[in-house]
Amino acid sequence: MEHLKSKRDGLLIFSDYKKTPFKILYGLMVLIIMIAIIVTVFPPIWLFLSSFKSAAELDSPPFTLFPEKFKLSKVVELWNWLQFGRYYLNSLWLILGALFCSILFNGLLAYAISIVKPVGHKIVFTLVMISLMVPVILNMGPLLQNIRNVGMTGTYLPLWLVHGANPFYFILFKVYFDQLPKTLFEQAQLDGCTKFQMFRKIVVPLSRPIVMVVSIFTVNAAWSDFLLPYLVLSGESAKQPVMVMIYSFYDNLGRQQGLTLDRLLMIISISIIPTIIFFIIFQKQITSSVATTGIKE
Amino acid sequence: MNKVIKKNLGGWLIMLPSIVLFIFFVWLPLASNVSLSLFETVGYTKVKFIGLDNYKAVLNDPVFVKAFMNTLKYTFWSILIGFAFPIFLALLLSEIIHLKGLFRTLIYFPNIVPGLAVVIMWKYLFNPEPHGTLNAILEVFHISPQIWLNSQNLVIPLIVLTMTWKGAGATTLIYLATIQGIDNTYYEASRIEGATLWQRIRHITLPHLIPTIRMLFILQIITVFQVFYEPLVMTSGGPNNSSISLLQLIYKYAYMREDPNGISKAAAIGVIVAIMLFILTFVYLKLTKEKE
Repeated sequence: MEHLKSKRDGLLIFSDYKKTPFKILYGLMVLIIMIAIIVTVFPPIWLFLSSFKSAAELDSPPFTLFPEKFKLSKVVELWNWLQFGRYYLNSLWLILGALFCSILFNGLLAYAISIVKPVGHKIVFTLVMISLMVPVILNMGPLLQNIRNVGMTGTYLPLWLVHGANPFYFILFKVYFDQLPKTLFEQAQLDGCTKFQMFRKIVVPLSRPIVMVVSIFTVNAAWSDFLLPYLVLSGESAKQPVMVMIYSFYDNLGRQQGLTLDRLLMIISISIIPTIIFFIIFQKQITSSVATTGIKE
Repeated sequence: MNKVIKKNLGGWLIMLPSIVLFIFFVWLPLASNVSLSLFETVGYTKVKFIGLDNYKAVLNDPVFVKAFMNTLKYTFWSILIGFAFPIFLALLLSEIIHLKGLFRTLIYFPNIVPGLAVVIMWKYLFNPEPHGTLNAILEVFHISPQIWLNSQNLVIPLIVLTMTWKGAGATTLIYLATIQGIDNTYYEASRIEGATLWQRIRHITLPHLIPTIRMLFILQIITVFQVFYEPLVMTSGGPNNSSISLLQLIYKYAYMREDPNGISKAAAIGVIVAIMLFILTFVYLKLTKEKE
């Protein structure tokens, strides 16, 4: 309770907490938060515990939370059977390419529109803003047709490049560049810098915070996306990333030898682990970028 | 003329690669959709110009009407289930001092779980068997087992619940940031004037939140309007098309190839949805401009 005695800002402060009803209220608030946390944490724990059950155990009453036994060998067996490591490497490769495209192309476009401002930049800006409203899935058919026509089906290229045409990332960059002091660029221009040199020597070094934010969103998106990769890489099972592998597994559940529910739950559990590690490492950056940009994914 | 080119060439060259990408991934597919929607097609080959016939066919298609109504239902339920809750949570989180870092992290945690993992996980949590996890929990409270996603009435609210489970934490953090930006002198002044807790919330906290609330409200409508992979993975649109969404219907027509004219029908629905999203986005941009 020491904390409450020193609380000096917000809706309720130390003087309020001298009264018993507010002390009770505080306890109640903590209780509600605890319940909310149980709701957020229980499903993944359930998933993790269930994945150690056998298929028969999952399928028969009565309900139990814990598996009969934890066999870590199950993880190893499944990992080797599916050659799961390969999918992780594919995902990593996809994420790296996506990061490169997302930062380079959205960043350059935002730099041009926010700072260089060549004739016609307003039209381009309007068109990009309009594409905010067009989810990729909406025009998936013609898009796949385009990808086929240029011979990129079955390759990572379209899956990398699609991150380079993202209006949300573009806006994040643009808002950031708009705030940079204009005098910097005027001075550089007087010193005879070209537009590209200005980008390399001024914009890039100043852009670390925004690059961080866009990178976090891109890594998350490239890791989680499954539909476009599934459609573009269909038939190329050796190139599939983790999420596509999970989707194919789910799609064929019970139809092929060995594709059982407990194994599905286990590969999903395993797939959440890198996300958790990433989250622990970049927790501060992730939560602050969500709070400041107002974009969730 | 030469001068103009010389002055702008650098800027144009910088924009060029990105513009090519936007053309390839967004504008060209959108344009082909508009054009395909006006033709009778075999695969992606246009056979005959038929004007608005595809649109007429789509609007008279009971599945389209169903998907449209369902999409409205998704929006309604997501506002009902998912809208006020993050505001409430943010208020609590901003006041709690004990373990606040841990609480915030755990509340946000579902947001980082990949969407596909989330929907498959919840699909099996909604196991309709009596020994399914949620049914086992209900049994503790002596409530009879439910069929969850197999129920035509429950399926949309349950999918919305899944989406809320994933998304609410991030929304909460956005509100929390706004609440923490409120100048403390407002609260001090109100205390001196003897305002009750409810009056402080009503006259200080909520008014400060209004711009964010407006913005996130319309943003949530736009997002839920695009609901797609959740019903695709969890229910395939069932039972009996009672959870199929508009984008899912596009996907179905374009890929399932049950309908010989599916490609152009998918294109027509795509155009209709694009127009609706355009209107919503326009409202959103207007509101965010006001906020700035």
